Amino acid sequence: MDAIAHFFGAIPFELLLIQTVNGIVTGMILALVASGLTLIFGIMDVVNFAHGELFMIGAYIGVVVLATTGNFWLALVISTLLVGLLGAAMQILTLRPLIGRDPLTTILATFGISLILQNYALWQFGPTSRKLPEPITSSFTLFYLQYPWYRIVITVISAAIIGSFWAFLKYSKFGVWIRATTQDRVMAQAMGIPVPWVYTGVFALGAAMAGASGMLFGPLGSINHTMGLDWVLKAFIVVVVGGMGNLGGSIVAAIFISLLEAYAAIWVSPAQAVIVSFIVLILTLLFRPTGLFVSISK
Amino acid sequence: MTEKWKDEAWAQDIWYSGKVTRRKLVGYGAGAIGAMMLVPAPWRAAFGAAKPYKIGSEQPLSGPGAIGGKTAVVGLQMSADRINANGGINGRPVQLVLVDDESKPDVGRRKSQKLVEEDDIDVHVGGFLSNICLACMPVWQEAKIVNMITVCLDTTLTTTHCNRYTFRLHDYAPAQAVAFGPLLAKMGKKWHIAYADYAWGQATRDAYAEEIKKNGGEVVGMTGIPLGTPDMTPFLSKISGNFDGLFSIFFGKDGVTIINQAYDLGLSKKYKMAGDGSITEPTNLPAQGSKVDGFVAINRYIPIFQGPLDTPYNKKFVEDAKKRLIAVDPSGPAPDKYVQSNYEALNAMKIAMEKAKFEGRKDTDKLIGALEGLEVKLGYDFPQGDKTLRKADHQAFLTEMIFEVRNGGYKLLEAVPKDKTLVPPACKFTA
Repeated sequence: MDAIAHFFGAIPFELLLIQTVNGIVTGMILALVASGLTLIFGIMDVVNFAHGELFMIGAYIGVVVLATTGNFWLALVISTLLVGLLGAAMQILTLRPLIGRDPLTTILATFGISLILQNYALWQFGPTSRKLPEPITSSFTLFYLQYPWYRIVITVISAAIIGSFWAFLKYSKFGVWIRATTQDRVMAQAMGIPVPWVYTGVFALGAAMAGASGMLFGPLGSINHTMGLDWVLKAFIVVVVGGMGNLGGSIVAAIFISLLEAYAAIWVSPAQAVIVSFIVLILTLLFRPTGLFVSISK
Repeated sequence: MTEKWKDEAWAQDIWYSGKVTRRKLVGYGAGAIGAMMLVPAPWRAAFGAAKPYKIGSEQPLSGPGAIGGKTAVVGLQMSADRINANGGINGRPVQLVLVDDESKPDVGRRKSQKLVEEDDIDVHVGGFLSNICLACMPVWQEAKIVNMITVCLDTTLTTTHCNRYTFRLHDYAPAQAVAFGPLLAKMGKKWHIAYADYAWGQATRDAYAEEIKKNGGEVVGMTGIPLGTPDMTPFLSKISGNFDGLFSIFFGKDGVTIINQAYDLGLSKKYKMAGDGSITEPTNLPAQGSKVDGFVAINRYIPIFQGPLDTPYNKKFVEDAKKRLIAVDPSGPAPDKYVQSNYEALNAMKIAMEKAKFEGRKDTDKLIGALEGLEVKLGYDFPQGDKTLRKADHQAFLTEMIFEVRNGGYKLLEAVPKDKTLVPPACKFTA
């Protein structure tokens, strides 16, 4: 009994609660990035290696629009729409001609696009990091920390975007087309659904979500040509752990992995805490390759 | 049709009249060769009479390191252009052979091998990321090519991993820590160190921890954060307790992340903030905004005209660099230490190559001899100031600038002379 009491007494509950908040916040940003990725994979069987660059382009567009208009929320809407349009153009010009071919060709195509976008950003904006000022600068006291409200706002907006997207998939006509195409592409086409345009729309939606997450995350760090790489690697882990193409699973996996990392950071070094997500990935691939949360409804 | 010009009056004398004899051809040819031998050296070089020196340079031109690699190349190119405009080295022009290491050690090593085998370079002047510099050092050693490091700061490059082919004309963490230690002790006794968890960050952490202790202080905690962590908040949230200052060791975009997120969590208000100057390079300041105000840092070079940097040489250097930097960055940043150290490294190499009458790789030993103990003086070639390249470990010592960041600019607090940054050598050269 004493040992149990000692164990619970040794747990820093303040830090545990702080890390719970941190894990949920980081998890929701990651969920927004990963949901675009998993959507594109689930419906089109395309592993989009340019997803991180769409995230980065969203942030850069935000910088430009914010400098012009001075309105963060307007910049968020415009960057989301423009990255969505960029995604549509990418799909029509590079991925549509590859439909039905070896999946490796789409991997190579998106990898090529990622290099182009990354080097374009470096050429266009240069190596100097850019700033996106946060629209809300106030904070609240969370035990011994001053916790910024903006991080909570990001969580709420991310949840709202993912929720709206889920409702869109479930109740709109285009959502029904998307679900039908996911289930059986040939049958959907036979029923008159314009499958090529469904693909384009899906890619545009996934890209728009990446753009929105880039814009939302921008104020927490710096805007530079490689900012997307740091998020997209983890997003790939989330997509695999959640079940490839499983939207609900990815969201749960994003929060699960972020919480695990945040809790691990209480007891081990950050470098070791980061390894946790890779351990989860390896265990998933070994024992449940279809994904840990595959039972959660798509 | 094509032969019609031969009927023209002006062509009659020189071509079509049949007056070009073998004797005349030999005479004119000898005259032309003689004239070429008499023209001044710069023209000979310009006309290709002299074979150029091939200066290899491995830099991160893509990937995360490109943020600094792009400006590093500006410094190197500035120096090469200036050398060529002034007659080259030993009457021969220099030719830069740049390779992109993509910010990856394996790629860096492969490309270095290419510089040695395919490009047949004479010397190497470059290297940005410490892990890549460490990975490539055996390549230069095996090929017996002088390697002048231009950016890598990892301590072990000139200590435990030193070799007789590698030189570093800029500072390293132990020297910076010796220079910064006394001021850190005045700022506070108890410090927490947050650092980039890789070769350079770990070595720098050790150097500062030692100096803080030597100056009567105490390091109460250390937090190593992996490179490229976009959200450091879960790790920074753990930093709490009773201490005076948070000392940060990061570079590039991680430097922006730590400043922004430490400020957001209230750490900047609670603790004194200090750290390595790589955090506050000119390319990072715009993204840090006012959140970096009050940060005290150390660096070998900052683009200011105060104290020892208030010289016509530095003004000219900043002016020339700005004109070039705008081509790689439309925001037109001021030159950072990456531009400075690349510029000065090639200039130092020129002095040594001339002193050694270096002709190619066969003269590497003579070049090493010329570089060992090399003293360079403040001037247009060395706008940062005097430097001594120590023979015992091939490590340079130079003036260190301690400054505070305020309102998007730098305020010099103290310039520590090079003699007060000395640390004993810790290198044993092998063959």
